[in-house]
Amino acid sequence: MRLPAQPGERLDRTRPLTFTFEGATVEAFEGDTIASALYAGGRRVFSRSFKYHRPRGLLCCTGSCPNCLMQVDGAPGIRACIEPARAGAVVRAQNVLGSLDRDALAVIGKIGGPFTPVGFYYRTMIRPRWAWPYYEKVLRNLAGLGRVDRHGRRTRRFDTEHRRTQVLVIGGSEGGVTAARAAAAAGEQVVLVDEGLSLELGGLDELGIEVVAPARAIGIYEGGLVPVDAGNVLLRFRAERIVVATGSLDQPLVFPGNDLVGVMLPNGIRRLVREWALRPGERAVVIAPAVEPIVDDLRAAGTEVARVFDLNERPPKEIVARGRKGRLASVRVDGETVACDLLVMSSGRQPAYSLLAQAGARIEYDAATGIFVPRDLPANVEAAGSVAGTSHAVPNLFPASAGKRRFVCLCEDVTTKDVRRAIAEGFDSLELAKRYTTVTMGPCQGRLCHLASVRLYARETGSDEAAIGTTTARPPWSPVTLGLLAGRGHEPVKHTSLHRRHEELGARMMWAGAWRRVHSYGDPAEETRAVHRAVGVIDVSTLGKLVVSGPDAVAFLERLYPNRFVDLKPGRIRYGVLGTDAGRIMDDGTIGRLSEQQLYVTTTSTGAEAVLEWFEWWNAVWRMDVEIVDVTGALAAVNVAGPNARELLGRLTELDVSPDGFRYLDLKEAPVAGTPCLLLRIGFVGELGYEIHCPSPLAEHLWDTLLERGADLGVRPFGLEAQRILRLEKQHIIVGQDTDSESNAIDAGMPWIVKLDKEDFVGKWALEHLQERGPRERLVGFELDGAAVPAEGSQVVVAGRPAGRVTSARWSDELQRSIGLAWVPPALAEEGSRLEIRLNGSLQPAVVRARPFFDPEGTRLRS
Amino acid sequence: MKDIFRTRRMWRPRGELKRRYDVVVVGGGAHGLATAYYLARNHGITDVAVLEKSYIGSGAAGRNTTIIRSNYRTPEGAAFYQQSVELYKGLSRELDFNLLFSQLGHLTLAHSDRALITATERAEVNQLLGIESRLVGLDEIAKLCPELDLSTEVTWPVLGALYHPPGGIIRHDAVVWGLARSADRRGVEIHPYTEVTGIERANGRVTGVRTNRGEIACDAVVSATAGWSTLVADLAGVPLPITTHILQAFVTEPLKPFLDVIIVSSQMHVYVSQTDRGEILIGAEIEPYTTYRGTSTFPFLEYSARHVLELFPQLESARVLRQWTGLCDISPDFSPILGVTEVAGFLVSAGWGTYGFKAAPIVGTTLAELVATKRTPALIAPFALERFSTDTLVSELAAAAVSH
Ligand SMILES: Cc1cc2nc3c(=O)[nH]c(=O)nc-3n(C[C@H](O)[C@H](O)[C@H](O)COP(=O)(O)OP(=O)(O)OC[C@H]3O[C@@H](n4cnc5c(N)ncnc54)[C@H](O)[C@@H]3O)c2cc1C
Ligand code: FES
Repeated sequence: MRLPAQPGERLDRTRPLTFTFEGATVEAFEGDTIASALYAGGRRVFSRSFKYHRPRGLLCCTGSCPNCLMQVDGAPGIRACIEPARAGAVVRAQNVLGSLDRDALAVIGKIGGPFTPVGFYYRTMIRPRWAWPYYEKVLRNLAGLGRVDRHGRRTRRFDTEHRRTQVLVIGGSEGGVTAARAAAAAGEQVVLVDEGLSLELGGLDELGIEVVAPARAIGIYEGGLVPVDAGNVLLRFRAERIVVATGSLDQPLVFPGNDLVGVMLPNGIRRLVREWALRPGERAVVIAPAVEPIVDDLRAAGTEVARVFDLNERPPKEIVARGRKGRLASVRVDGETVACDLLVMSSGRQPAYSLLAQAGARIEYDAATGIFVPRDLPANVEAAGSVAGTSHAVPNLFPASAGKRRFVCLCEDVTTKDVRRAIAEGFDSLELAKRYTTVTMGPCQGRLCHLASVRLYARETGSDEAAIGTTTARPPWSPVTLGLLAGRGHEPVKHTSLHRRHEELGARMMWAGAWRRVHSYGDPAEETRAVHRAVGVIDVSTLGKLVVSGPDAVAFLERLYPNRFVDLKPGRIRYGVLGTDAGRIMDDGTIGRLSEQQLYVTTTSTGAEAVLEWFEWWNAVWRMDVEIVDVTGALAAVNVAGPNARELLGRLTELDVSPDGFRYLDLKEAPVAGTPCLLLRIGFVGELGYEIHCPSPLAEHLWDTLLERGADLGVRPFGLEAQRILRLEKQHIIVGQDTDSESNAIDAGMPWIVKLDKEDFVGKWALEHLQERGPRERLVGFELDGAAVPAEGSQVVVAGRPAGRVTSARWSDELQRSIGLAWVPPALAEEGSRLEIRLNGSLQPAVVRARPFFDPEGTRLRS
Repeated sequence: MKDIFRTRRMWRPRGELKRRYDVVVVGGGAHGLATAYYLARNHGITDVAVLEKSYIGSGAAGRNTTIIRSNYRTPEGAAFYQQSVELYKGLSRELDFNLLFSQLGHLTLAHSDRALITATERAEVNQLLGIESRLVGLDEIAKLCPELDLSTEVTWPVLGALYHPPGGIIRHDAVVWGLARSADRRGVEIHPYTEVTGIERANGRVTGVRTNRGEIACDAVVSATAGWSTLVADLAGVPLPITTHILQAFVTEPLKPFLDVIIVSSQMHVYVSQTDRGEILIGAEIEPYTTYRGTSTFPFLEYSARHVLELFPQLESARVLRQWTGLCDISPDFSPILGVTEVAGFLVSAGWGTYGFKAAPIVGTTLAELVATKRTPALIAPFALERFSTDTLVSELAAAAVSH
């Protein structure tokens, strides 16, 4: 049922559309909201309340209350009164068992369910203890409003945009538009954001003002960041000047029956009539401070105005609304009963100051106007229009009103009785009472209940609003979806430049941080054999790689690492362990000196980012003359290891690869397979080996050539699993696996790294202390009797208590033994000590092996 | 049953401060109130004042995400928290106040083999100490949490999890109120809006405190001031190796039952649970910078949303209702600092970081015992302040990337 066309109505009657509500077709026009279309179709009950499942109808029509929350296209919590009607939308009611009109759970409101009275559940179901979980199940099932599809996926695409402007106006209220115009006239760049409720935005673009609508400012955050929800785009605004023009909000009166369907706020009426050409009711009573505009609206709609009470003239002492089946039937005011199906009520308007409060404004009660107003605005933030505090509200408690529940807070179904009871129980500060009753904690964010609850509170405690003050305005100002917040950003999977080759070889991949790495190419044991007997190649491109250069490069690393580097000659490499300021192991890797002023630093794969940050942090602190360049992605790396490695490398390069020409821990730059490479002779896996770093785009060529030319030498690619076994045979540690945040280089068996005679380095004081104190635990190798391999993380047990832990363990095909590394108490750290390790719940004997299991002298490595 | 409908005061209205108390507890959070309660209950020491600069529960106690669990990594930690969980189990009855403790079960997801090792380690330590805790594979995770995205097409697929069935959530305010009520009934005085501004000492001993409402003499001061610990300890001239950071959290608008277990993912830097009211409660890690400013930030919402959706893509349309921030007192090893200091009579409960709520009952019992007997209970000996000068740290760090 629509009225004839209204001046300025939002509807485009030439463009009808349909959507469904609870399966039934609903007719609408372009310009309708879901609620206005439903209203036009005769619907009056729009939701069921949170606790008592009382029927609720449209109240504010501005998206400020909980009364029209619905499920739209699967999304919960949609304010139907501001959600544009879209063709084909699927709309459902939420928080009902049955239907909106017959909600089986309404019985809760009648008999008093588990939530009533306030604080009820803190006092019940304490005994017997076993009953609580059952009761809780019931409670959980009753709670909540909307639903999400338990197995749904992400369906929408959201973007994030970073925007700048000179002036950002939030809200298209009269004040906002005036401010925007003035700024534009002064030649400033202006953006105006509006929820889509304003009707005053016409002609602004001509003035060069960018209007973003419908869109909602989510908050004003640190540094003046104003994120704006513009549907599928999150606009992150930074402005030189922020003008808040969010206007003011109609405040409901608190009286028995104030939540009946048919009780509405003036602004809601205005929108129904003027914007959607709807007749809000047949016969109305008006109780408000400013009655004329309301009466005008009602008359325009052809609603009979049965009675008007102007609160400014003579505030009534008593108001009681009565209904039938949750719908308004009559109102009694000071003894006079008027039959009606519509009650337009308000106590006045309260500035919507939340954004200003978030920005840092002080909120103060103004006794003259009866409202809370923002004061002491921070620099660059202004208030325009009624948000600044030009409205007023009458102190509207009706002590004489007897009768049923009067709701202070609709979202949470909190009544005046609840608040009174809370105070009587000793919740005698506003913050405590809020938490106990949950008043203001629902979806309306206190928009419609804050003022009333403070007033009630003030009366009940014999205080006044000014003394009580407000509670903290917590962001967001308008509820925002996780999807929009998340945007499209996600961490991508990282592939090395050899990824395709690994796939072609049928590699089994595994996750290593964000990287996909090769676990193995079939049989890890076979791969270890190839490395021990012939030659293997492994993709180690994920290693972090940094080039540190400049006059202070060496001095910089001297200060960062416990190692010494001043004596490291160009062309030589040293193993380094990076420590924290508490002397704990942070990362490890190799440091090669490329030239006098340039060093090449590798880090672990997982530590790459942290080490770069660490370097940059200290560089900023020390202000040394150093440049740090991250070449992790630019360079790929392949480790060639095994007795035949020299032969293979010799075939691909002009370089002198003889034992004397290319010594252990030498660093060379030379073409390999025609590719410019950096070669590091090091040996994590314990055999003669070369780490070849080359430009990423050329990695496939290098890899292919190695496999091709090494075919007759028995070359074989190997994966991470084989590498882990091989390094374990050498007792080489993996930082982050064999060490944790408390491990230090001394206890981890690498005291030779720590040069305490150096002048200073990060963590020196701590390592000095640790050395003095002696180890609390030590990292040692162990071998197990039998073939069982303990899970990494298993415990070393002494007298039934955890006393140490296994950090690595594998079956070594080469040694035909189960081997591992473990942290053990110092008393158990000597060669040959017997340990007990818990394995599948029972204890297994093991023996400590202090030296590498394989090639303890390192002759193969150095060969 | 009738009692439920009768209005009874929870506690006496705040009275005048006396000139002297046996014990002054600074901080009306969970720890301060628990200490006062157990002093009265276990040791009959009732001449106790709890001084709180704001309202009770205004600090981290009323802002935390209420995860209660004992599947810690170090034997010292696990044994300690285990006793706390045991106390929590009986606390509703003891206080005659339903704390709404739901032992939903707690899943710590592992997204890497490194994380699986840590999970194994924790499970093994826990089992040795008799704590229910084990490693579970994808099948079992799918049963415990069918809503979780277990596909392998994501950057950080779930590889396994540490399952801790007794882990749960509780109603934080109820804990504060329940403890306050029982402490009050036993004679303890609770003084909200009373700030300690000085701590008096003579000959290396505490003799009293100064407050905004006047001076008080006392024999012992227990500081249970969490995020403000260093400030209060400074008043006693005791430096603490603690930095204060903020930790943030948010809830969505209430949803119908969706999640019946607590999900923690350190890889994703988030943890997720659903409260009894239906809100999805999401928390993250501390912000890396130190501050006492309790303002909430927007980037926190952005990255948390991003990470949550990696685990629960169907929450895309859920709406953030409210975000907030609390202070966390971070110690170097992510273990607490409990007990005596170099100033006789000045005791601390500090270094609670992001995980102290679960410890309130055990902190209360052990500190009360320490005050009453002047002997440090064995359970808290490893957490002595002294450990930072002897470097005998109790590192929970590996387990604490997201530790609540
Ligand atoms: C967002 C967030 C999530 C968390 N999640 C969890 C979790 O899931 N599980 C968990 O176990 N822990 C969690 N924590 C940590 C936990 O909340 C705290 O460690 C714990 O509450 C601290 O103890 P408390 O309750 O006594 O502290 P608080 O409640 O902070 O109490 C300290 C009190 O001291 C008062 N005070 C300070 N200075 C003075 C003074 N000079 N005079 C008088 N009074 C003073 C303060 O006002 C405050 O009320 C979380 C913390 C935060 C912030
Ligand atoms: S009627 Fe839609 S939010 Fe109030």
